[in-house]
Amino acid sequence: MKWERGFTGRGREGGHAMLELAISAGVMVSCLVGTFQFGYTFYTYNQLVTAVGNGARYAAQRAYPAAHEDLERANAAIRNMVVYGDAQPAPEAIPAVPKLTPAEVEVRWELAGDGTPLNVNVAIKGYTTDAIFRSFTFDGRPSVQFPYVGNYATGGREP
Amino acid sequence: MFLLLAVVGMAFDLGRIYIARNEAQIFVDAASMGAAKQLDGTATGLDRARAAATALPNRWNLGTEDFKGVVIEFSTDGQQWEAEPKDLKALHYARVTAPDNQVEIMFLRAVGGPADFTVPARATASTNPVRLTE
Repeated sequence: MKWERGFTGRGREGGHAMLELAISAGVMVSCLVGTFQFGYTFYTYNQLVTAVGNGARYAAQRAYPAAHEDLERANAAIRNMVVYGDAQPAPEAIPAVPKLTPAEVEVRWELAGDGTPLNVNVAIKGYTTDAIFRSFTFDGRPSVQFPYVGNYATGGREP
Repeated sequence: MFLLLAVVGMAFDLGRIYIARNEAQIFVDAASMGAAKQLDGTATGLDRARAAATALPNRWNLGTEDFKGVVIEFSTDGQQWEAEPKDLKALHYARVTAPDNQVEIMFLRAVGGPADFTVPARATASTNPVRLTE
């Protein structure tokens, strides 16, 4: 009889310990998953801020071609600068931010009445970062504006 | 629990501090270049320089807050700085400081960290050609 009572008591204690472990492990894992998600997302966002800032700084100092097709090439070079850190990247170039593509970079020029560039704005559009447990989409952020201080090349050609 | 809060704080609060520092540096870079671009040796140019530096739409704290308390100074030699310079024709440098970017600390303060952390930034640009010098 004593043995049975003792066995039942140990069994109840073991059950409590299992329950406590399950609850505390659930809380711990949730906290660690959340920490990883926010940490990785902040890390990615910081990389995007750096990339967009570098691209906008490059855009502000480079020549601005007036011809439409040359401007498209110039914008492509700026997008490449944001994504690869290089205006004319090698075919096997790796993006500075994982899975970021030039299509997810928006370049907008603010022009004066005579067509002279005043400012250039570079922003991220629709980039999704995968933090394993959840994904986050950045649309319109980060966004950086620089005043244009380069040369307005009315007759120049974009390579 | 203490260790868990410290780990969460390292990821969350330090992540935001690094982002704020980056955003502030990009803002002062752009603002100093904008100010230097407007300097033309006239009082009007000086006013335009101040306006250009403060009119930038760049924001911080994950792109949610405007920069406050921005200081714009000018110099002829890059050594002596004045907010109200006298010799306008000799001005060759514009310097912008964003001193008041206080990131609120959420988790690390629970384990003895500060309540907020200030992330100041400063940049200098020269005229003709407009380039960042610092």
